Amino acid sequence: MQGILRIENASKSFQAPEGGVIRALDNVSLTVAHNEFLTLLGPSGCGKTTLLRAVSGFEDLDSGEIYIDGQPVSDQPAHKRPVNTVFQRYALFPHLTVERNVAYSLEVRGTAKAEIRERVGNMLELVGLAGMGARKIGQLSGGQQQRVALARSLVAQPKILLLDEPLSALDKNLRHKMQQELKTLQHELGISFIFVTHDQEEALVMSDRIAVLNGGTIQQLDAPEELYRRPGSEFVARFIGESNLLDATVVSVEGESCDVVLTDGTVIRDCPVNGLKRGDPAKVLIRPENLVEGFGQSNPDERAGHEISGTVSESFFAGTDYHLVLACKGLPPVRASLRAGPGTSHHTIGEQTSLFVPHDAVHLIPGKGAPA
Amino acid sequence: MSKAHHTLESRRKLTLFGLLLPPSAFLAVFFLGPLAIMIVYSWLTPGLYGGVEWKFFHLNYGRILGWADTKYERFDPVYFEIFLRSVKLAATTVLLSLILCYPVAFWVSRMPEKRKNLVIFLITLPFFISLIVRLFAWVLILRPTGFFNQALMGLGLIDEPLEIIFTGTAVIIGMVYVFVPFMFLPLYASIEKLDLSLIEASQDLGANRLQTFFRVILPMTLPGIVGGSIIVFIPSLGNFIVPSLLGGAKVVMIGNLIEQQFLSARNWPFGAALGMMVMAAVLVLLLYYIRIVTREERQAGGLKVAEEVAA
Repeated sequence: MQGILRIENASKSFQAPEGGVIRALDNVSLTVAHNEFLTLLGPSGCGKTTLLRAVSGFEDLDSGEIYIDGQPVSDQPAHKRPVNTVFQRYALFPHLTVERNVAYSLEVRGTAKAEIRERVGNMLELVGLAGMGARKIGQLSGGQQQRVALARSLVAQPKILLLDEPLSALDKNLRHKMQQELKTLQHELGISFIFVTHDQEEALVMSDRIAVLNGGTIQQLDAPEELYRRPGSEFVARFIGESNLLDATVVSVEGESCDVVLTDGTVIRDCPVNGLKRGDPAKVLIRPENLVEGFGQSNPDERAGHEISGTVSESFFAGTDYHLVLACKGLPPVRASLRAGPGTSHHTIGEQTSLFVPHDAVHLIPGKGAPA
Repeated sequence: MSKAHHTLESRRKLTLFGLLLPPSAFLAVFFLGPLAIMIVYSWLTPGLYGGVEWKFFHLNYGRILGWADTKYERFDPVYFEIFLRSVKLAATTVLLSLILCYPVAFWVSRMPEKRKNLVIFLITLPFFISLIVRLFAWVLILRPTGFFNQALMGLGLIDEPLEIIFTGTAVIIGMVYVFVPFMFLPLYASIEKLDLSLIEASQDLGANRLQTFFRVILPMTLPGIVGGSIIVFIPSLGNFIVPSLLGGAKVVMIGNLIEQQFLSARNWPFGAALGMMVMAAVLVLLLYYIRIVTREERQAGGLKVAEEVAA
């Protein structure tokens, strides 16, 4: 794939202040397509910001190469690269007006005055700040500053827009609004966005693809749905969404589905096989919202192989859902969220109950994994 | 509840007034008082054997600025020349210490915290030693048989000692040496505050180093530059110790002239008039500075200022 951005075997180490070496990037390769919204997701210190700064030109790689639109850029200083950044704290110039902030990249390129005025005007309109050009940065709210930062980095029409946790300073409502606006803006402009965040929900909502980073390596690179439904590793399963991860062994394989047995002897049937063979160890991933009550009511035989029974150890109502924790002998606590609709009711603590795992609601992660 | 002293606000005001009264009174008596005496004396007739006669007299200023033309009191352009020379010296001192301090302040501001504090301490260290002693040390360094010339000759760069001591060059060296800490501290304060991400943002937006310097770094550190320049300019304009110790008899500055009028010539009114000239120059400069600063503030927080004015 000839993308707008290609990163090949990027590695970068830092000297830790306490001594020793931190591997911020460990042989990372990645291709970003034209007009793609790609998110770099990971806990702090996973290397996502380092990767972004390597693309923008503020970090030199120890080894590896970065190609923007087919051109290697390692020798290009930051100010010559056709990418722009929206910084975490915006980094707007406090001594300039909104207009001059947005015009900055055009002014330093020596663009004609009339053209600057027109493009800055259009840009301010696009981000919803028309008529605010004469204001000083200190007179703007957080959300408005965010928009100025966006306008400033888009006005020069970069090939890629890099966004370094730009929404982390906003309150929750504004953040949701800006998420949608960013996504819309990206569609309208047709520019590739590379978005860095540690907020998995934000990543799921906005991205075409998400690269989950940990310890300087890409754990998995996939579309949000794929990543959520079929995580490739225990780390990804735990990092994205709520999860129950149960140790299991494959007992029989039949075509594309298999049966597994959990550590307490419970059998779960009809799991997608995911390349596993009889006798292989696996982690069973069951999302709390995939557990249901009342399964196979008409035919009790159907329930066999889809049932987890235990004692309710925690139970609370959270508006749209009832949250339960089920204590089962020989298993770690199993969490479930049951949709609060007609027919569901509150479970009291101490109650014996059974929850059901529907077909295809289970994902198997090969290998034993780290003990939970 | 009309008893004013019961509200917290009015009690705070009373406390503030009580705290501010002693220093205000002190300044009024010991600062404005002498200043008033200076102003009055500069318009009085010099006594024959020192002291003053209480008669209005405008020729003190006439001797400096050009309208004195009597038998005893004549206009002499030399006074104004000395004044201009002093302004030039002060400006040179400002410029050289600025050029010296700006990169150093940048360097220090990027140091780890511990080393930073050490450097700041070292910069203020000279204040622990008497200025006179330090200037005599410079005499020893700069004189023909001193360290500087010996070193240059030892290296074979010169055959004969350079004539530095008791020249304008020596005065400039001394002035810069004395006033560098005053330039460094305000500069450092504003450079330390400079947000590094602004520099990155500028580069990210396509500005090269030079553009980043002139468009972001310089305007953002301007308050420190202006502040440091004023703090250096004012005392160096009236300084007479450095010229008299390092400049010898050849280099007379306005400070030396004033000193002579008061201590040797005993013409207090004329000395006071010269002092007024220095003060006028400083005032003009300060007013200009205030105008720049208030304009910056008005731009930075226009709404806030407007609200405060309206309140």
